[in-house]
Amino acid sequence: MRLLSWPSITQLLLAPLVVGARASEYNDYSENLLLKSLPGNSILASFRFVSNGTFDSHHSVFPRSLAQILQQSQTKELHLKFTLGRWDAEQWGRQVWDGRTAGGTGVELWAWVEAADDSEADARWTTLNNALSGLFCASLNFIDSTRTIRPVMSFQPAGHHSPESLERLHLLHGTLPREPVCTENLTPFLKLLPCKGKAGISSLLDGHRLFDAQWQSMSIDVKPVCEESGKCQLQMEQTKPYAGGDSCFPLSGVTDLPWSLSEMFGRPIRGSCPLAVVPTEEATHVCVNIAEQRSIFVSQGSEERKKSPELRCFILHENLDFDIVLPELSPSTNILLTPPPVYASRSLTGHGQERGGIQAVLNNPSSNSTVEFVYLESLPWFMKPYLHTLSVTISVKANRNIVQDIYYRPALDRKRGTQLEVRLRVPPGETVLLNYEFEKAVLRYTEYPPDANRGFDIAPAIISILDPTSQKSTFSIRTTSLLLSLPTPDFSMPYNVIILTSTVMALAFGSIFNILVRRFVGADEVIGGSLISKIRGHIMAFAAKRRRVGGSKPKTE
Amino acid sequence: MSERLGPDVAATIASAALAVAAESKIPPESAVSISQKRKPPPPDTPENTHTRSLVILSFWVVVITVGLPLWWITTAIYRAPLPLKEMQSWADGRACRAEFPLLIDVEAPTLPDPENLLKTVQHALDDANDFSAHHLRLRLSTNSSRVDDGEESVAATLRLSQGTAGSPHSYVLSPSSRAIDLFYSPSYNPTSFSAFVASTLQEIFAEEQQMISYLLASSAPAPSPSPSSGGGNGGNGVKVVSKVNTAEIARKMSRIVKYSPMYHLTFSLFTAAGAPSNWEIEEAVSEYLQPLLDALGGISGFTVDSQIQFYASLSSSVVPTWVPDSEGEGAGGRYTLKKEDLSSFINSAEWPLVSITSYPTINFIIYIPAADQSPLIIPTSSTNAFLLPQWGGVMIHNPLAESDNTHLTKEALKPALDIFATQLLALLGAPTHPASLPIRLDSLTRQRSAELLVSASSTLGSLYRLTLALPSISIPSSVSTSVSSTLSSLTAACQELRRGRFGGALEEGRNAEQQAEKAFFEKSMVGQVYFPEEHKVAVYLPLMGPVGAPLLMAALKEILRLVRVRKASKLGG
Repeated sequence: MRLLSWPSITQLLLAPLVVGARASEYNDYSENLLLKSLPGNSILASFRFVSNGTFDSHHSVFPRSLAQILQQSQTKELHLKFTLGRWDAEQWGRQVWDGRTAGGTGVELWAWVEAADDSEADARWTTLNNALSGLFCASLNFIDSTRTIRPVMSFQPAGHHSPESLERLHLLHGTLPREPVCTENLTPFLKLLPCKGKAGISSLLDGHRLFDAQWQSMSIDVKPVCEESGKCQLQMEQTKPYAGGDSCFPLSGVTDLPWSLSEMFGRPIRGSCPLAVVPTEEATHVCVNIAEQRSIFVSQGSEERKKSPELRCFILHENLDFDIVLPELSPSTNILLTPPPVYASRSLTGHGQERGGIQAVLNNPSSNSTVEFVYLESLPWFMKPYLHTLSVTISVKANRNIVQDIYYRPALDRKRGTQLEVRLRVPPGETVLLNYEFEKAVLRYTEYPPDANRGFDIAPAIISILDPTSQKSTFSIRTTSLLLSLPTPDFSMPYNVIILTSTVMALAFGSIFNILVRRFVGADEVIGGSLISKIRGHIMAFAAKRRRVGGSKPKTE
Repeated sequence: MSERLGPDVAATIASAALAVAAESKIPPESAVSISQKRKPPPPDTPENTHTRSLVILSFWVVVITVGLPLWWITTAIYRAPLPLKEMQSWADGRACRAEFPLLIDVEAPTLPDPENLLKTVQHALDDANDFSAHHLRLRLSTNSSRVDDGEESVAATLRLSQGTAGSPHSYVLSPSSRAIDLFYSPSYNPTSFSAFVASTLQEIFAEEQQMISYLLASSAPAPSPSPSSGGGNGGNGVKVVSKVNTAEIARKMSRIVKYSPMYHLTFSLFTAAGAPSNWEIEEAVSEYLQPLLDALGGISGFTVDSQIQFYASLSSSVVPTWVPDSEGEGAGGRYTLKKEDLSSFINSAEWPLVSITSYPTINFIIYIPAADQSPLIIPTSSTNAFLLPQWGGVMIHNPLAESDNTHLTKEALKPALDIFATQLLALLGAPTHPASLPIRLDSLTRQRSAELLVSASSTLGSLYRLTLALPSISIPSSVSTSVSSTLSSLTAACQELRRGRFGGALEEGRNAEQQAEKAFFEKSMVGQVYFPEEHKVAVYLPLMGPVGAPLLMAALKEILRLVRVRKASKLGG
């Protein structure tokens, strides 16, 4: 059996609401789960939690720990993603929530920080990273200036900001492609939820089963949401896409295997979270998106709301466990999948220790519409691209206006990385090849990690699909991360160098010194003979003595 | 065989073999022939010998004058000069004899002879005072002196007036001012009244005096903090105090949060289920607690936040015991927490209580137990609350009314906040005794000044010991600046204390403490260069060995030659 579970979206909202009417209090938190069957007997489980909170210092469903961090670092909007695995777009189609909730492999963080100038923004960014690092048990504190970029075209604030505050906002973006996402990151994530995984759909989020998935992502998005009246809320959205498979043999395509929630997650849902929004006709707790022919069995005590033939939703009872069981069905059924706006893949080219190249393949699957997007690369400083080698090739020769715009900020050694943003237009059905070459820098002795021969992770490229009219990002896709091998030295080098240079210096010194202070005479004029003949004499004398002693001994006996 | 042995052994064997061969095979004639061929070398000219000596000398001169200093300078660790003596004298408590002269104004418009009374009372106070660093000074308040001259703050004002007929002497403290109203009985008797005044004042300031003497005594281990004071009175005084209730004071002192100019107060509602979902904490804090926080503003500032945490479970080690009601046979009863449970009551693994503020956090927690563990009672506490030393306070709230289950009103929170206010004062170290809040806060100011003085001095002492203990630690110049700033602040604080300006002393003490901490926790000092001895050998030996050996040998030869020449000349002479 092959299961693709996607416990996806945790969405929290932080709102600067006046604590007023009781009804609005209840609207502060909502949660829902979407289960979607994917080709290859996979299931996508997408969790979504939304919390609202106020800007002041009194918190209820919005986590105080996070609010305090945002306040300390003057962060107005925050996006934090933890991702593991690869989303197979060819097989699974487009990601849910327009790809906004999934990040690149490892950890990705971007935020709009309020500051008067760049240096202040950097200081607050460091504060933010360090605080989040502690909160989520992740190495976010390693996002330093070399891993931070300031994207120009790729990101737009998702929340509502006043024009005055927008001027003071600085967008900073950092990635840690090497960070492994694990249970230790999930636990703090659960602690941010009001029901803490003890009730409601979050009770499915158990570290033991969750991390078996083929792909998963966990995201936290905080943004201010303003009403027309001028009241503002801060909204936080967390996602964790997760794809898991436990099939030992390729059965896919023949039958739809049976599955149930308790089989997939190891436990059923423990009732609904009493703090969540009271479900209405629109809002439901659990939705299942499967083919119409498939039958579905659910636990007692839940109400069903059929939204469409392929989307069946359920409202949970507060104190009763909830489970979904789907029996086996043959032949296999499939729901219609929509392809993503762009298929993207990226790989390293070239050979040798000195140079290399990168090739990105970007394919527009649409048959009639041109797609416009920004391709963003954030490269470490030791990977130095040659911009003149940047080439974009397409099969249709007539269309030359593929590259619309390029933003490039070169790297500074040990200070900052390269930032490359390319805006491209790909005609329908075409494939674009984006190539460039780079040089590998030689690092200092202490800059290599302990396992230097493993290679260095290169952050995934981010592709933001732009809306043709508003030029704002509507969908985002990440490529996989790359592993770059750099020339690795022999780490006993420093002592070798010390010894070698010392020897050379000592040789030079010794010969000059000897020439200066020695007196040179003919070979037959040496007084006292050479050292060897002296030693020989001593040894002979010693041996003679021994013989004499040895000879006399038996006599005394 | 020689493969197995080390090269040295092999060489020895080989040379031994050679020696044997030489002995047996080489005919003696050949040796003779060599010596016959040998002729004496041409005599060395004195100029050559002289030049050679000069060459060797110049090499040594370069090595000693350039090489060694260069090596020394490039490998030396920068250590800024520190005023070590002064630091030590502060750490030993010798530099400053802290004094706390408390000025008390006396208003006696109706008394016949106030000066005389004052003298008697002052005498009585001085005689009874066993800790001379802390003493009360009475001053007759006149209209001119009542105008605050800004020199010295008045600790309290005594207002003497006639009481009702037939009543004994009595006094009344107003909770919101520094005034103490004393009523003497109409049958005025100066002797008994002066004794009453003295005992009243002593009673009011006794706790503060004990605390301060405890603080100062703990700072200076060997001699008492007032060695030269009042004819040996001081030395006895400390003993008397310690006899009284050192344990009690130590208990009080141990729960005081370390002084900081800012504190963060976090009010948390932990509930074992999903309800109540909201509470009027903001209103409750601003109404019940804010006045106290404002009053404390002169000593420390406060920031406040609050949170609700649902589904908060107790840690597994805390298991309440069920105690059925003694009377009824029914289901009536209660869950109780043992004293041992209280120490592990805070489930720090699960409860998000950490703040990221740069200053200390004081936590106040209201815990609402689950329905199946309700009511939860702490039998030893009448208020169902307890204080965690240096950390905060916890109160267990068992909802009574049905409405409490979803919403906690301001009124329902009042008892909790009253308890938290008391706990906050205890955590900050305010004395519990006099009813008047201003007097208690003044006491707190003096206590905190003493505490800052002591802690800054002891930090200096630690720094002093550290610099002596680790000769390889580098001391950047910023440390030296901080230390001198600490010293000047300490001196200023000490002077302010003597003059009775306690607000200024607190300010200076705060600065001293801050600078001392800055000096002690200097980042570049904390990270010591780790460079073990064997690395030094590995780095230096490849150069020093081959270069040093010929130099040494040449010098040795030259010295031997000189000795020989001198001997020869002596013999010749």
